[in-house]
Amino acid sequence: MIKNWVGFYTLSSREIMRFFSVWRQTIIPGIITTLLYIFVFGVALENRISEINGVSYKIYILPGLLMMNVITNATANSASSMLQMKLLQTLPELLITPLSSLELSLSFIIGGTIRGFVNGALILLICWMAGMPIVNLPLTLLFIFLVSWSFSSLGLFVGQLSDSWDQLALIQNFVITPFSFLGGIFYSIKMLPAWAMTLSQVNPIYYAICALRESTLGVSDTSLIISSTFLVFFTISTTILAVQLMATGRKIRF
Amino acid sequence: MNKKLAIEITNLNKSYDDVEAVRGIDLKINKGEFYGLLGPNGAGKSTTINSITSLVKPSKGNIKIFEKDIEENFRFARSKVGIAQQEVSQDWFFPLEQLLYFQAGFYGVTRPNAKERIDYILDKLGLSAHKNKKMRELSGGMKRRLQIAKALVHDPEIIILDEPTAGVDVELRHDLWTYLQELHRDGKTILLTTHYIDEAELLCERVGIIDNGKLIVEDSVDNLKKLVNKSSIVIHLKNDIYDINFLGGFDYHISEKKVYIQTESPNLDLPKIILKFSEASINIEDVHIPQTSLEDVFLDLTGRKIND
Repeated sequence: MIKNWVGFYTLSSREIMRFFSVWRQTIIPGIITTLLYIFVFGVALENRISEINGVSYKIYILPGLLMMNVITNATANSASSMLQMKLLQTLPELLITPLSSLELSLSFIIGGTIRGFVNGALILLICWMAGMPIVNLPLTLLFIFLVSWSFSSLGLFVGQLSDSWDQLALIQNFVITPFSFLGGIFYSIKMLPAWAMTLSQVNPIYYAICALRESTLGVSDTSLIISSTFLVFFTISTTILAVQLMATGRKIRF
Repeated sequence: MNKKLAIEITNLNKSYDDVEAVRGIDLKINKGEFYGLLGPNGAGKSTTINSITSLVKPSKGNIKIFEKDIEENFRFARSKVGIAQQEVSQDWFFPLEQLLYFQAGFYGVTRPNAKERIDYILDKLGLSAHKNKKMRELSGGMKRRLQIAKALVHDPEIIILDEPTAGVDVELRHDLWTYLQELHRDGKTILLTTHYIDEAELLCERVGIIDNGKLIVEDSVDNLKKLVNKSSIVIHLKNDIYDINFLGGFDYHISEKKVYIQTESPNLDLPKIILKFSEASINIEDVHIPQTSLEDVFLDLTGRKIND
């Protein structure tokens, strides 16, 4: 239970102010990447690729691109903040204060969630301006929030276990990015062979993309009930995982 | 002196893999006391103090702050303690003043309530002119001052400083000593780790000597010095001399023109000895009573110098 509300508020604010202070690194790149994707797929490739589920290919990939940005930003924020604090010796100054493991974890998670959500909301606006429909805006924002929260929790977990930037990059390059691409950003999993389709169904990013595709385009590879239930379950699990790891003090208290 | 215990460590043990960093340390520090943990690098000083702040998880033992267990009452214990770590931290994102507001906030102090205290500390540590600078713009000495400011920002009753003057210039060292003495006069309990003998001698009421993870002795500086039987008188003669049998009642030896006389009461025995030299018509050029230092105590107890 949260008791040190001032401390909790202070650390959460610090985490949010941290990424806003370097907005050129944390906000702009996602927007530029999305614009490039829209340009390349819209102008160069759209006429060569047929529609998927009755939606033009350029529009079909946008919810996936949006989610990829949300996931990357949310994960990177809490992971890099935690690792940076470890490497620059600011973490001990935080760990000696009267903040509980729950208060510490939630503050880091909130920082990453806000970064993921801000990126997601801005890219949603760009996608909408590029012609992507938004069937249900509140649900869309809720999904962006849930995915931000869950991957921020995952980022914190990974950041706490990492000892170097190399290890962190390893997770990003060999786990997050492949899972994002295999989660159906650029295709419907119905286009895959049966074994790959089954494999995709244990990929949390697949459900994140399905949920967002349903709430924006109104089409999806799986039902909204399944994808949203999975997302809620995934968010709770990753949060518990991060808070529990913080409570053990592994790799941060010796 | 109020004998209420500020810090009580019982049978503290800490092992890292196969290395025993701390081996059964018992330590009691009274409220308002200035206590020094003296020992060479790697003796177990940092492990001991980091156990007090929960940064290190002891393998065995128990720690209390103002008679409350630090695990069961972690919020109470941590709010009472401010610690300046040996390693200077680097936060590149925010200006110095903002870092202090954050640190105060972590301890539950709201921004308006922290303002007066932060202004005072900035001024006291000579950081006011630099409060809008980020860490990259600060000199090494300034960074060290900031480290200490962070430890004091929530006005803790117990202040722990891990090698606060390691690698700092002489001026900052003396400024810091003066400020620590002021904090002590204000009733703060101070625990200082150091491997500088003069620092411990000047500041601490009691000193614990720690070596190889064990607290080998603790007492006041004066009492520790008494442990070393080094009290002696050195008499420097004008001419070479080999026969000074008139000193028969004393344990002595001669080296070149110097006579080394062992005595437990050099100040009392000195006039008698000078009289004997005078009666024997031996000219004395200089008389010297060497002072025992904590370095001698450490050498005597461990068989090596503290900075070896």
